[in-house]
Order: sequence, then structure tokens, then C-alpha cells
Amino acid sequence: MQQPYLEPHQARTRVPNSFEDLLGDSIERAFAVGIHDLPGLVGYLNQAGPTCPGGEPWTEDAYKTLMARLGE
Amino acid sequence: MSTVDPVEQLLANGLKNLWYPICPTGFIADKPVSLRRLGYKLALWRDTDGTLHALEDHCPHRGAPLSRGVNLGDRLQCPYHGVEVRCDGVTTRVPGSPGCKLEGSQATRYFHVTEAAGAVWLYNSAGNIEEAPPLVLPEQLSSAEFSHFLCYAEWRGDYRYVLDNVMDPMHGTYLHKQSHSMSEGESHAKFVTRDTDTGFIFEKDGQRGVNFDWTEWADTGVHWMRLEIPYPKTGGPGGNFHIVGSYTPISRELSAVFHWRCRPLTGWQRDTWRFLYKNRLEARHWAVLEQDREMLEFMEPDANQRENLYQHDLGLVRLRRHMKNLAKAQLELIEARQL
Ligand code: FES
Ligand SMILES: [Fe+2]
Repeated sequence: MQQPYLEPHQARTRVPNSFEDLLGDSIERAFAVGIHDLPGLVGYLNQAGPTCPGGEPWTEDAYKTLMARLGE
Repeated sequence: MSTVDPVEQLLANGLKNLWYPICPTGFIADKPVSLRRLGYKLALWRDTDGTLHALEDHCPHRGAPLSRGVNLGDRLQCPYHGVEVRCDGVTTRVPGSPGCKLEGSQATRYFHVTEAAGAVWLYNSAGNIEEAPPLVLPEQLSSAEFSHFLCYAEWRGDYRYVLDNVMDPMHGTYLHKQSHSMSEGESHAKFVTRDTDTGFIFEKDGQRGVNFDWTEWADTGVHWMRLEIPYPKTGGPGGNFHIVGSYTPISRELSAVFHWRCRPLTGWQRDTWRFLYKNRLEARHWAVLEQDREMLEFMEPDANQRENLYQHDLGLVRLRRHMKNLAKAQLELIEARQL
């Protein structure tokens, strides 16, 4: 019999890179301390990292644009 | 000697005249695919414009697999002797014997198929029918207020064990105690059932929004189940995590298991959840589901013949009884040739 289909990753098309891993960690830490609003989250990323791609500080727009791509 | 109980047989293959999820949409491309589902071997393929088609994977000439043949757009050509069968089951050409009576006859079972929520859905009609009713899914899968991902898996065993498992909220407190989201709540509870317009809810009396506290079963022309699990704080805004499930028999030994993970989110919150889901949450959810799979696959196929059920099992008792009654009613219609 053919092996049953058991694929743990069905949502992503590639393995996350290290920037995405750091970003995921940082977002989860912000959520864990109860930061659930966008200005708060952007402020947290600016203070805790990782750096916004391009090197400028995180802004709400930069965050939204990046997430629209990563979370498409 | 084994006698086949027709009610049992009907339930094992899946009730008729319902929509069933078959596979993720990505499984079907131009090249025809052969899949066993619902007591049939099916040939599924895409037309030149991407439209899905499904025939029984059985050539009307001598039964060769049509799925091994050539995709001619809205029809398949059998690899054995070249007979062509259109997506509506009609044999359009018998090249070896033009004009023979097979030509023009609707000798092949065909099925209505559609795509929604990342899955291919098939209407399991009792016979060939012109049109299928619309596919009606819960709001988690049909409303723009929700974002969702499909998780598809194949588990060894009868699909009814999967139904039992989902209709058993209390297992969350024990089997999933070590999980990222199900360590909360009382370890004993009293359950009650409540009717809805389309089915019923089986829920913990006096506990909501703490753990896996309730399950809904519904029939909207498709049988689906629904539940919610509170996310830990790290899951961010958006409240509970919703799961919609629907389960399709592949064979007595294998089940097609569809879970949609859903959250009511829009805008940056939606995108963030989707990013986290792909980046890390999917793996955590998968680990929880593996606990269920391992438990069910290690149960004996006849475990449900030797049970001592208690109050927590009222939900699955009710569901089994309901399914059995549906099967009996369908069987009577089939025997009266009305289905
Ligand atoms: S079996 Fe298909 S053409 Fe003969
Ligand atoms: Fe479970």
C-alpha cells in the first residue's frame, strides 16, 4: 500500500530564513506580554529587534507591507 | 461466514447525496489522478481551463483505469483500447468499432466536483445526476471575516473513529495535556447536548472558552464538525482558534482527514497570524494532531464492539445513532429505487 499522506508543512512553500525566525520570536514575545496593537508591536520591534529589512526603523506601513507578503 | 449488513456497508463507504472533501486542490493537475474514496476508485483531472472533472476510474469497455489514459480536455481516452469517455460519463468514441452501441451511452459513473477552501469536493450522488446542490460550508470557511489554512492527512482506520474522536472534547484535557494550547480547564466535567438548526452541540456544562469545551456536528448537505480552542497569549489578537473538520472514507483501513484551522482576523492581524502559522504554529498544531492519529491508529478495528461508555460519551453515542438512522433511511430509498 502507498504510504499515507502525512506532511507536517502544508502552508509554507519553503523553510523560513533566519530573519523570519527572529521576527517570529519577537512577535510572539510581544504578544506574550499583552502587546496586541499595531503601534505597540512596531515599538516593541524597534526596541527588541530584529532590524527592519532595509535598515530603517520599523514603521506601521513597513510592518504591514512585509506581513502582507509573508502572510499572503 | 460473514454476512454484510447493508446499513454498515453504506456507512463504511460514506452516506450518499452529500458533499465530501476528497483531497487538497493541489493534488489534481492535467495529468489524471486515481484516488480511492467513498467505495469508488475515481479518476480526477483538470480540463484545459482548469475545471475539475471526476469519473469512476473504470472504463465502460472492460474496466481498465481511465486515469492511466490520455487527457483530452473534457474527456479521457482509455489507455487499453482507446475508448473515449466524456466528463458526463458518456462514451463519445469507440475507435476500434465505430458505431457500436457503447457509443453515445452514459455507461460510466460521473460525479460533480468543485473547489472550495483549498479542497476538492465531490458530490457523492447515488447515481448519475444532472446537477448537484450547492456546497454549503460554515462561516469559518466561507466568510471574509475568517482566514484559514487546510491541513490534510491520511490516518489508518475507519473514518468513524475520527468522528468519535472529534465528538469527544474531554480527550483534550488528557491526550493533549502537553500541548501548547490545551492544558487548562477542569479534568472532570458533565456534558450536555443542545440542538441547532443543522445538527447539535455537545458541550461541557458550565465551562466555555477554557479548553476544548464543545463540539458541533452539522449537516448542511455536507457533514462537518466545528470546535474552538483558546489560543495562548503568544497567539496574539483574534481570540479563539477555530477548527472545522470533515472526514471521508478512503477504505475501511484508511481515512481522509481534513482540518481547517481558522481565525476571525483581518488586516495586519490576519497577515501576522498567517505568517506565524507558516513559520511556527503549523508545526505545533501538527504535533497535537499526531497525538490523535497515534491513539486512533493503535486502537483495534473492532475496539468499538467492546466499550463501556460513560457520560462523556453521550455525544458520540448520539452521533452514531443519528448516522445509523440516516443510513437506514437512505437504504430504504435505495431499495425503493427512489435514490
Ligand atoms: S478497457 Fe478501456 S478501451 Fe478497452
Ligand atoms: Fe485531539
